Amino acid sequence: MSDSAAEGRVGKVRFTGDRGEMFGILTRGYLMMLPTLGIYRFWLVTWKRRFYWSHTEIDGDALEYTGHAMQLLIGFLFALAFFLPLYILFFYLSTQRPEIILSGYAIIGVLLWFFMGYALYRARDFRLSRTLWRGIRFAQKGSAWSYAIRRFFWSILTLVTLGLAYPFMSASLSRYKNTHTWYGDRQFTFEGSWKLIAGRFYGFYFATLAVIIGLVVYIGSVHGFSSGRRVGTDGIVILLTLAALALPFLGYFAIRAAETARMLSAIRCGAARITVKLSGLTLLWQFIVYSLMLSVCVLVFSIIAGIGASSLILEISRQGGDFDPADFARIFQSSIISVIALALGYMVLLASFAAMAELYLSLGFWKAVANGTTIENVDSLRSVRAGAEDTSLAGEGLADALNVGAF
Amino acid sequence: MQITGRYTDGHTADVRDVTCRIESAGTSLATLVILDADDSSEITRWRAADVFPQHAPHNQLRIGIHGRPVGERLVVRGFEQVRAAQDMLPALAEKHRADRTRQFKLAGIATVALASVIGAYLVGVPLLASRVVHLIPAEWETRMGDMVSEQIESAFSENGGFEVCDPDPDSLANRAIARFADAAMEGTGSPFKTSITVIRSTVPNAFALPGGRSFYFSALLDQTESPDEFAGVMAHELGHVAYRHGMEQLISTAGTGLLIGFVLGDMTGISVAGGIGSALIDSRFSREAERQADQFAADVASRMAFQPVALADLLERVAGDDAFTRAFALLSTHPLTAERRAALDALTVSDSANLITPFTDAEWQAIKSMCGKPAANSGENSGTSEPEGDNPAKNSDKNRSPS
Repeated sequence: MSDSAAEGRVGKVRFTGDRGEMFGILTRGYLMMLPTLGIYRFWLVTWKRRFYWSHTEIDGDALEYTGHAMQLLIGFLFALAFFLPLYILFFYLSTQRPEIILSGYAIIGVLLWFFMGYALYRARDFRLSRTLWRGIRFAQKGSAWSYAIRRFFWSILTLVTLGLAYPFMSASLSRYKNTHTWYGDRQFTFEGSWKLIAGRFYGFYFATLAVIIGLVVYIGSVHGFSSGRRVGTDGIVILLTLAALALPFLGYFAIRAAETARMLSAIRCGAARITVKLSGLTLLWQFIVYSLMLSVCVLVFSIIAGIGASSLILEISRQGGDFDPADFARIFQSSIISVIALALGYMVLLASFAAMAELYLSLGFWKAVANGTTIENVDSLRSVRAGAEDTSLAGEGLADALNVGAF
Repeated sequence: MQITGRYTDGHTADVRDVTCRIESAGTSLATLVILDADDSSEITRWRAADVFPQHAPHNQLRIGIHGRPVGERLVVRGFEQVRAAQDMLPALAEKHRADRTRQFKLAGIATVALASVIGAYLVGVPLLASRVVHLIPAEWETRMGDMVSEQIESAFSENGGFEVCDPDPDSLANRAIARFADAAMEGTGSPFKTSITVIRSTVPNAFALPGGRSFYFSALLDQTESPDEFAGVMAHELGHVAYRHGMEQLISTAGTGLLIGFVLGDMTGISVAGGIGSALIDSRFSREAERQADQFAADVASRMAFQPVALADLLERVAGDDAFTRAFALLSTHPLTAERRAALDALTVSDSANLITPFTDAEWQAIKSMCGKPAANSGENSGTSEPEGDNPAKNSDKNRSPS
């Protein structure tokens, strides 16, 4: 299979992971977090990434995640050093006058929003620079500050225009991120613009707006604004209200799918072109399954908690006859076992929520995107050479240890 | 023995199908020879001792090599191939074990480090907070106390008003109270100007704010039966002022929030686990503060003739040590009354005969009638004792130190 014969060949992306394996990783990770006082979360993140990366095969070869948990831990400590002065500032503010407290919190909130852009860019940098495909590392150049400034002003503009600027923001940020992304010595290019998602975004936006205006006009003309009684039983009003609620809900999935697929499909790496197909219905379905699983978790949890509480009440009535809430509270609070049970129960509930989000939303999304992706001219990527620093022997040395990427 | 796999040299993305065989197996010179699968030409040779495993799905093996480009890899697929490769390259299993041990050690060290930070915090914060408190300028604390006082006042005014019982600072009662406060604070070196204000409220309570202001509620005064009880409560509150407990508590609460954030990775501190953890840790500190304030009251009592245990009598009358209070002792900011009573009993002043009493009879009568109630009916108000009534001041600011 020589290169010339394979010219123009389309490479497929395939995701080979399954939920069971991820469930195992999560269960072990959550259990390990107990004796390590939560420190194990950095190892858990590393294991999750290894799972996603190693199960994503692009044209037959899987991605490789080379990051280590200690790098994340060190990154967290650096982030902490950044948070500490903010925390002291918070403390100082909390002792001031209410007006100062409010304006102080507002300023800190705005600052955090700005720094979040910086953190997101650095985190993407961290992940890309620790991703290998066919032995070649990805990289993200550009400036995290520059990205943070763009994101900050675009989000203000989006807020001021009541969301109308969103497609422009999305395209601008995608362009900045992707044009500064490299695979080895080859830079990505981005051929997308706001037009990619304009149709779907503005379609849902104005359809929702039209329904709301229609609802208001209808109520105004048919019922008059003063009499509120018969409005609630009018079929058209109910229909329009439902539509006004359903449109943004469905729009979220439709727009997210279009945004993901079309922005990714606008990426080129030399002659190689990425094409991603993703349906909004897939995302909607994943969300429905996730909601169902969440309800199951809550149900199981309530049953267990109910059994626990009723056995405690039984115990009390066996001891002293009639039931007294104060007695109940006393026995419940005084026994260290019930305090531990309460704390553990809370943690299990939190862990199961997080696990459901990982298993049904994150994994589902990754899988849908990966399996919907193809790469045209995939063989053109064979001539990519490693960037200068990648061939050095100290690949995971000091530079990596000092890279404060993951927050 | 031969295995097949995919090879990348780490210089270019040109992945190749290869076959591999081992030479000088079992010796220190063992070498993996990697050959092109199509034409069997030799691509490279790896020293078998230098290979290391990278993470891969369980039916694959991803092998790297030390001393070469970071991306140089051999990927072997299928269980039989994987087993054959593992047999050829025993260094893989050794390094896998070594890496696991290393990761466990790192996680262990990090855990021990965190545990010692938590331990140092639990032991050190009462000490630390009482040291740090002296670094905070007194004017700042006074300003803060003024602000809290304003907040409480505005909370009261929504609910009928914040009414000082006897606004005349030169009245017999107020002069007696001020004299007592000055005498109690004498020799403590406290930078604060203390003031005790009796205000009208249906909640039997008393508290001190940061910066020297203390408040005594009329409902508590109604239930106060003797000058000893009154002096005991006031001395206790002044103890909070002298030790700067309000400020200390603020500092330790902030420190606890920081620690919880560190453990949970949630710096905002808004999670339920964070809240419960903070409450449990902070209640420890406030129990310690209550003991200190009691001790202060006893010290004052040894200079002026009153029995600090009267404080416990009053507390018992007001709150009662009922089962419900005890049930929530774990999360309570008050120490157990029974426990505390025993401690106060131990502090009882034995030799008080030659000391002057804190208030004269006339002064005490004036204090009792400050809020317009005659002294005689003091015992008849026990029916109104609702220690946990919906007092807006109770919720408006957590920085105050309850009696």
